Amino acid sequence: MYFLGIDIGSLSCDAVLIDEAKNVVSSSVVPTGVRNLEAIARVTKDVLEQSGISEGDIAAIISTGYGRTRVENRDGAVTEITCHAKGIQEVIPGTRVLIDIGGQDSKAIHIGENGNVLDFAMNDKCAAGTGRFLEAMARALEVDILDLGDLDRGAESDLVLSSMCTVFAESEVVSLIANGTEQREIARGMNRAIASRTFSLVKRVAREIDGLTISMSGGVALNSGVVRALRESLKTDTIHIPEKPDTIGALGAALIARERKA
Amino acid sequence: MMYDYFSSIVTGITAKLEQDPQGIHARKRYALAVATLGRRLYSGDARIAWCGVTAPFDLLNSMGVTSCFVEFVGAMLASTETAELFMQGAEDAGYAADSCAYHRAVTGAMLKSAMPVPDFIIGTSSPCTAGLAVMENMAKQYNRDLFVVNVPQSESPDAVRFLARQIEEMAGFVGDHTGQALSRNRLGEALELTNEATVLIKEIYGLAKQKPSPVDSRFLNNFGVVITLFMGTREGVDICRGFRDELRHRVATNAMDASQERIRLMWVQNRIQFPFPLESMLAEYGAKIVVDELNDVTWEPMDPDNPFESIARRILSIPFSRNADARVTHLQTLAREYQIDGAINPCHWGCRQGTGLRGIISNGLKEIGVPVLNLEIDCVDSRNLAEGQIHTRFEAFTEMIQG
Ligand code: SF4
Repeated sequence: MYFLGIDIGSLSCDAVLIDEAKNVVSSSVVPTGVRNLEAIARVTKDVLEQSGISEGDIAAIISTGYGRTRVENRDGAVTEITCHAKGIQEVIPGTRVLIDIGGQDSKAIHIGENGNVLDFAMNDKCAAGTGRFLEAMARALEVDILDLGDLDRGAESDLVLSSMCTVFAESEVVSLIANGTEQREIARGMNRAIASRTFSLVKRVAREIDGLTISMSGGVALNSGVVRALRESLKTDTIHIPEKPDTIGALGAALIARERKA
Repeated sequence: MMYDYFSSIVTGITAKLEQDPQGIHARKRYALAVATLGRRLYSGDARIAWCGVTAPFDLLNSMGVTSCFVEFVGAMLASTETAELFMQGAEDAGYAADSCAYHRAVTGAMLKSAMPVPDFIIGTSSPCTAGLAVMENMAKQYNRDLFVVNVPQSESPDAVRFLARQIEEMAGFVGDHTGQALSRNRLGEALELTNEATVLIKEIYGLAKQKPSPVDSRFLNNFGVVITLFMGTREGVDICRGFRDELRHRVATNAMDASQERIRLMWVQNRIQFPFPLESMLAEYGAKIVVDELNDVTWEPMDPDNPFESIARRILSIPFSRNADARVTHLQTLAREYQIDGAINPCHWGCRQGTGLRGIISNGLKEIGVPVLNLEIDCVDSRNLAEGQIHTRFEAFTEMIQG
């Protein structure tokens, strides 16, 4: 018996297939695009092909993410908050604070000792500080988004982008470039801006974070510059990053599918 | 336009009630009273006063003044989905788009001459001084006199005396503008009616506390704030009796649906005023609102022999008139009395009470083990709300409560 979790986010659609022993059998991440039904079909096909199992072997499907109700053959839909908390506990047990920064939302989740969600906060009014923000910044800096992470290496200034509105920040970056500010300083300023916004999300859910295991999921966890800035602002040496941070929601969904079938 | 709108509601509800004259229909009768008040405000032949939320409406009713707090108009425009037009007008005239939308809507309505011109205005510094600024603008716009009631943030004997004196002066101000001095007899009768209604309101809240609660998420929506407009009148007593009778009936006939109450919720401050499927969304998750922060009686019965002091004590007892601690303590008390599982704070945009106290309220409720969902939405301006986001937050919150 196998269990499938599908996470339909605004930027990417992820699927994770697990077996009864909770081993990840296969996973897939594709851009969601404008037609999310196609993305759902693609990730499902991917995980089946990779694992060589047939659809009939899947005992339960749980969907999550903003498009969770679009998965027609689902056995249930669970929010990304619950799924991320569940997924991270599996790969980084003992996580008490999870920061998830995805395509267009970011969230902080406070997790109890027994893995239950104690509180959560999500960015509310705009996509500032999320994957979309980074995309716009990469465009303004004329670099590939995958190269953003290391761009701030060696930067030392205290620059913080003053505006977190994606549009204004983009024009701020353009002015900084025009003023001759080094690319790495701008990148650091951008990472620090994201970190300060995320810091307040974390503080909203957990006033005391000293000694708590902090982990991060979502595609932005792959950006080492943002992670470094977050470590600085949270005053912590370690932020745990799972091997595939962008599939944690889908993994959590698959684990919930397994629990519900038990 | 508004007169016709209210008239059509009055006609529609009256016709429905006539089909079942013996039925209780508490909310319909309440809606009828509200629409009738709206029609009177827009009729052009009533003596009207625009007021702050904590104005003493029983006193004003006893003086024959049709009075109403301006936020009522903001809520009403939102509920009829016409607020956007007026808010846009206010924004175009230079009002900040992130100020409280109740006031933006009212200001826009004023600028577009969609507010009845008052005979005079009574502003109150509680629950917010933003409301006072609207009153000042209104006084200028309509060239009308404004009386400001300054509500101190304390319940000390000095504060009571200070406020009582202002209420007495206010009665003099009203008398000067209506040509009819306050009658102590009529005020005494009005306060007796307030007391009669308050006994019923306490019973209503007592019934709502039961587990399972006979209320559904909608039943007491906006009740505590709006009923103040009918204080001091027989109509107010009748509305309250209707609500009480309906709840008694629900309890007696076991009409409470326990399956809809897996999660008991408290709503902090004001509800969402524009059409929004809040109740059905919550019901999907077996959750319902059993108490609103604004639905409570925090004062002692009015003393008709000592009316100004009584009214002053009532205003000062309202947690919104005091400091953050008073609000937190009050919310904690409600949380315990209603045995709630969680609280939802909409954190209405631009509101000092709503967004300003967000963290303090969350921490206060968390301290007693009550989780809080902070929504950060605009309760009046639907342009600022994404339904999908709210859905996800409700769902995640109920998943969290259920573990
Ligand atoms: S919502 Fe807040 S700002 Fe608006 S009227 Fe009420 S207390 Fe004042």
